[in-house]
Amino acid sequence: MHLLWLRVAAIFYCAACATTLPAVLYRRPRLQRIALPATLSGFFFHFVAIVEMLSAARHWMPVGMHEVESVLSILIVAAYLLVVFTYRATGFGIFAMPLALLLLITPAVGPDHATFNSPMIRSGWLFIHVGALLAAYVALIFSLLSSLFYLVQEQRLKSKSGPAFLAWLPSLAVMDSISNRSLTIGFHCMTLGLLAGSFIAQQSVGAAYFLDPKVLLSFGMWVLYVFMLFMRHNVGLRGRRAVYVSSFAFVVVVSVWIANLFSSVHRFPGP
Amino acid sequence: MKIMLWGINHKTAPVEIRERLAIASDALPEVTRQLLQAPGMQECMVLSTCNRVEFVTLHEEQEPDLLEFLQAHFAVDADTLHPHMYTYREREAVQHLFRVAASLDSMVVGEPQILGQVKESFAVAQSVGAVRASLDKLLRMALVVAKKIRTETQIGSSSVSIASTAVELAKRIFGSLEGRQVLLVGAGKMSELAARHLLQNGAAPILVANRTFERAVNLAQRYGGHPIRFEELYAHADKADIIITSTGSSEPIFRREQAQKMLHKRRGRPIFFVDIAVPRDVDPSVNRLDGVFLYDIDDLQSVAATHLATRGREAEKAERIIQQEVDRFQLSLRTLDVVPAIVEMQKSFENTRQSETRRMQAKLQSLTPEQKTAVEALTRGLMNKYLHQTVHALKAAAREGDAATIKNICDIFDVDTGAMPPVRSQVVPELAVAVAAAPEDAFSVDLLGDDFAGSVPVTVGEYFLDAPLVRREKGD
Repeated sequence: MHLLWLRVAAIFYCAACATTLPAVLYRRPRLQRIALPATLSGFFFHFVAIVEMLSAARHWMPVGMHEVESVLSILIVAAYLLVVFTYRATGFGIFAMPLALLLLITPAVGPDHATFNSPMIRSGWLFIHVGALLAAYVALIFSLLSSLFYLVQEQRLKSKSGPAFLAWLPSLAVMDSISNRSLTIGFHCMTLGLLAGSFIAQQSVGAAYFLDPKVLLSFGMWVLYVFMLFMRHNVGLRGRRAVYVSSFAFVVVVSVWIANLFSSVHRFPGP
Repeated sequence: MKIMLWGINHKTAPVEIRERLAIASDALPEVTRQLLQAPGMQECMVLSTCNRVEFVTLHEEQEPDLLEFLQAHFAVDADTLHPHMYTYREREAVQHLFRVAASLDSMVVGEPQILGQVKESFAVAQSVGAVRASLDKLLRMALVVAKKIRTETQIGSSSVSIASTAVELAKRIFGSLEGRQVLLVGAGKMSELAARHLLQNGAAPILVANRTFERAVNLAQRYGGHPIRFEELYAHADKADIIITSTGSSEPIFRREQAQKMLHKRRGRPIFFVDIAVPRDVDPSVNRLDGVFLYDIDDLQSVAATHLATRGREAEKAERIIQQEVDRFQLSLRTLDVVPAIVEMQKSFENTRQSETRRMQAKLQSLTPEQKTAVEALTRGLMNKYLHQTVHALKAAAREGDAATIKNICDIFDVDTGAMPPVRSQVVPELAVAVAAAPEDAFSVDLLGDDFAGSVPVTVGEYFLDAPLVRREKGD
């Protein structure tokens, strides 16, 4: 049944994508009135689908690739809705909604045949580990997006004759605030996720787990995150330099995630 | 009833003429009342702004002599006025009114004040009883069209003056201007105007630096700000988010090094320089620094000109919307014209139904009250069903302006519309609008007013003819 709800959500996201783009670029309030309800409806059905999917699988965390993609997608939509309701910055939908739709397509097409039988997947710690890290990835995506928007708006203001189709870009202050907040939220999520992961690793594998260079890379990523936050808060990193640092951090985070997929110790074998 | 719009505006009359006709807001109710007394006048509204004086009137067959009215009330010679005035009738009058309300006929196309002025004039005309059904419908439609144009086009979305352009740019940098500090360097007229706009948008507090300290004190007092000595300018400059410069200095006051130091002290928070001075007070290379935005007078003018051009393009879209809405309005007027025929037709059917029911009364004596109600409902339902197609055809013919079909239908049903009084002056506005806008299958209009205890549907015929109400079962 959850597949049906996922497909319904995908249809709503599709409608949201198709209407958000012209609504934002050409300032069409009528389309905006379709885009937001479509996003909210998609989010509702997506949420129902995930709850049904996880309860049917008798675990409370996403483990398979389809589940992870689906949860990542709903987190992106949730973050987008948060940005819309807090800042009225609907322009983020141009990128956030297609990304969410893209991530949802594979899970909505068919069921995931890979199964995970490890009893650990019912552990609350693992739920916190996975959930918090996924939220951190989403926060980083939004931080990168807002930094990029900041850069474009800055160039537009400096050139004094920027293209009219970019008139939808929010103010620099709004994008700076979104970028800062998402970095801070992301930092808390990442810290929580890594702490929970360390606790699980200590219990199940012991200290040997921390000898894996890919795991060490995760902690390196956390240090980089701290550095980036420090720079933003103390040096006032904005504009071009903020984009460079955010992009670098994003690339490292994605690399660490991919590296961990191939890690020999970052596994959940069945009993 | 005929629609006419008469007036002068900034395009047709110089200010010497316009000022002679200008009506102060406190005199507007009296002028409207007097205009309503003019022979043949049925409804009217007077619109008086600094750029136009217009009279929207609904009158009988013979046009009222507005020139005579103006001569009497404004002591303006008809020969003086005549070359400057314009008169629009029927469709053209509706179109002009829609254009005025939508700010397409304004000096600065897209300016928002005119809509408020039309609303005020409408309210005044209503308060003196000069607006009834038809003009009410026309004016409400004009307001709806104006709002539609504001929503569906970008006609009023960007600023076209130097001061408001500076405010708009500041908003693009800082979002809300609430609590943003403004520094005025030099106390020129233009910079003062820009500062006033910024303050009106929430920016505060204001710092004023001037070579003559007394002038800085005066200006700061006027806007509730703080004066600073010119020698202390650089010590305070980093506190300001927005710096407006307009000194007569021949050398730049803010150079790249100074801007860099200010940025450092502000930990990279943006600074917006508005340089209105000629020669310029801020070195152009400052704009190359990350976080510094510099606009000189030419830049501001160029942005304002771009916005003006955008408004011109949007005005074309707005004109298309106006055409569609004028067509719609004309159509609804035509549909209103057949309301008397519909009313007459239903009256005739209802009389037949009642007389037939009375004829059969003896045979229906044995029926219980419930059965009698059912028979009543049955006959009324049948009548409405038979009438439905005819009403549909009448409204369709009215929409298409097919007078021959309307006449044929009226002849078949022996309806004498000519005998009826003019409908638009008699019809209760909400009801007339409801009839005109009703879907084809909704012949009966339910009036759920207090008088009917919220449960008795009343047909159009009953309402108009004040016939005794016949209680019906719900769902008839």
